[in-house]
Amino acid sequence: MKKEDMVKLISAEGFEFVIDKDAAMVSQTIYNMLTSPGSFAETQHGEVTFPEISTTILEKICKYFYWHLQFASGKETEFPIEPELTLELMMAANYLHT
Amino acid sequence: MVSFKRNIDGKYKGFKIHRAMYIRVKRSKTTYFIRCDPTETVLDIKEKLQVLIDQPVNNQRLILVGTGEVLEDSKTLADHKVENDSVVALTLRKDDNEFEEVDIVRPNDFCQSRDADTGNW
Repeated sequence: MKKEDMVKLISAEGFEFVIDKDAAMVSQTIYNMLTSPGSFAETQHGEVTFPEISTTILEKICKYFYWHLQFASGKETEFPIEPELTLELMMAANYLHT
Repeated sequence: MVSFKRNIDGKYKGFKIHRAMYIRVKRSKTTYFIRCDPTETVLDIKEKLQVLIDQPVNNQRLILVGTGEVLEDSKTLADHKVENDSVVALTLRKDDNEFEEVDIVRPNDFCQSRDADTGNW
């Protein structure tokens, strides 16, 4: 495992989530940020700040990324979502193209 | 329980086989998602963390949140019943050679952080 293989996602409250790059790239938006040839600051530092996404939602999204990859490799489990998070989560998912 | 959109479009087929699980290692306001396998030892996890936080293995202490159990280097994750999505607290050795207390900051309430009426994304 190398440091360059990880990215840091930062929530509205400044909480940091360090996750595998390939997991983060489940999100098309993050994928574009990290791979576009232009010089996004995000590409260089491996850090993306989401001032609009709260910590609870961002953590849930990170879990979803990992769940997605597990599911895609054949591990069929449910992804639990608390009903009170649904709306915010959907909005974040829409933003992230996830 | 709501099923979430699954876009399994084969885009990630080229990636290596993914490890069985991940754990969340938390300290202060930071969470590290660490991919691992139940057969790996606690020391293996600390070696992964070493890369990320620049702290040598013997300055790290991992505590399973929930039971409060300190994880021993030689044991495997399965021995300690650390499962997928488990939360583990990381504490570091302080200058006086003692380990710091568990310190995990939680967001107070996910609604308070944003103006309820603007709510724009």
